[in-house]
Amino acid sequence: MNCPKTKLISAYLDEELPSGDRAALETHLPGCAQCGAALMDMRALRAAFASTARHQAPYGFSTRVMARTVELEKKKAPWFVPFFVRSAEAAVLLMVIFVGIMAGRFMTNGSSMTQPVNLASSLSLDLFDAAPPGSLGGVYLAMTEASNEK
Amino acid sequence: MLLRGWSFLLLCPVQNSDDLDRINRFKNGDTAAFGELVLAYQDKIYNLCRYMLGNVHDAEDAAQDVFLKAYQALPRFQPDASLYTWLYRIAANTCIDYRKKPIFASLFGDSGEGERLVHDRASDAPSPEQLYRSKQIGRELQISLGKLSPKLRAIIVLKEIEELSYEEIADTLAISMGTVKSRIARAREELQKLMQKFREQNP
Repeated sequence: MNCPKTKLISAYLDEELPSGDRAALETHLPGCAQCGAALMDMRALRAAFASTARHQAPYGFSTRVMARTVELEKKKAPWFVPFFVRSAEAAVLLMVIFVGIMAGRFMTNGSSMTQPVNLASSLSLDLFDAAPPGSLGGVYLAMTEASNEK
Repeated sequence: MLLRGWSFLLLCPVQNSDDLDRINRFKNGDTAAFGELVLAYQDKIYNLCRYMLGNVHDAEDAAQDVFLKAYQALPRFQPDASLYTWLYRIAANTCIDYRKKPIFASLFGDSGEGERLVHDRASDAPSPEQLYRSKQIGRELQISLGKLSPKLRAIIVLKEIEELSYEEIADTLAISMGTVKSRIARAREELQKLMQKFREQNP
């Protein structure tokens, strides 16, 4: 037959029983073999736990944790930040192209700044006029055409 | 009811002043303060995870997760609670919910590489026989613990390994004192049976 007081043994061992229950169990223990055996078994289990080693964190543990917190912070950046950076990059690139075109127009046709601006014509390859007949380019073109006819 | 409320306030653990200072510094943007917290609690948390999960690699993985969760939640931490109880709560829940790594990963996981052991309860340096016996009992315990349900394992590890009181365990696991008492008794009973069975199978 199971003694109902065995269920109190665990809390008794941990000194977590109210004083009244504790005193009653201490009076009961010497006369109950079942409770006596349960107490001995639990003390043996406690001794087993007490004899086992405690594990310390491996070397470099805190460094690895801190490295993961840095990764975490990088991921925390708002989603629109990369989009904003890309947009700014594209705007700068367009600005550089525009300034380049305007500078090119100014250098090839110094007075063009006073004339009405035609963006389409500035982008066209007509900017490069045919070589005049007396120039070095004209002589070269005449020679290549003559050799092609042969 | 009012008395119970007041008694809870009176019994509420006092915050460690070093912890309080680190928490405040962290909340003001000093991430190095979190590094100090990790150094202060890493052994306790790792040891808990090691007994809960049974091998070095799972224990380190889970312990790192515990500190990452703490890092994310610390700005909302209320200093009227004890930091170590709060960390133990995160650790116990992380280990209870921990999903084991695939079998091929755990095959390489029991080497104990990089891990340091401490026999902190021995008054003098233990003899080789004592060390051997301690290792044998440790193995018996670890295998038997692994067969307990995660909830019973958590409660017995908090009691016997981390040596928390019933009140601290109730606070850590957010359960009643009555549940703590009955679960510890059940965990001990099951553990004794499992260890007895282990000894019979491995004489």
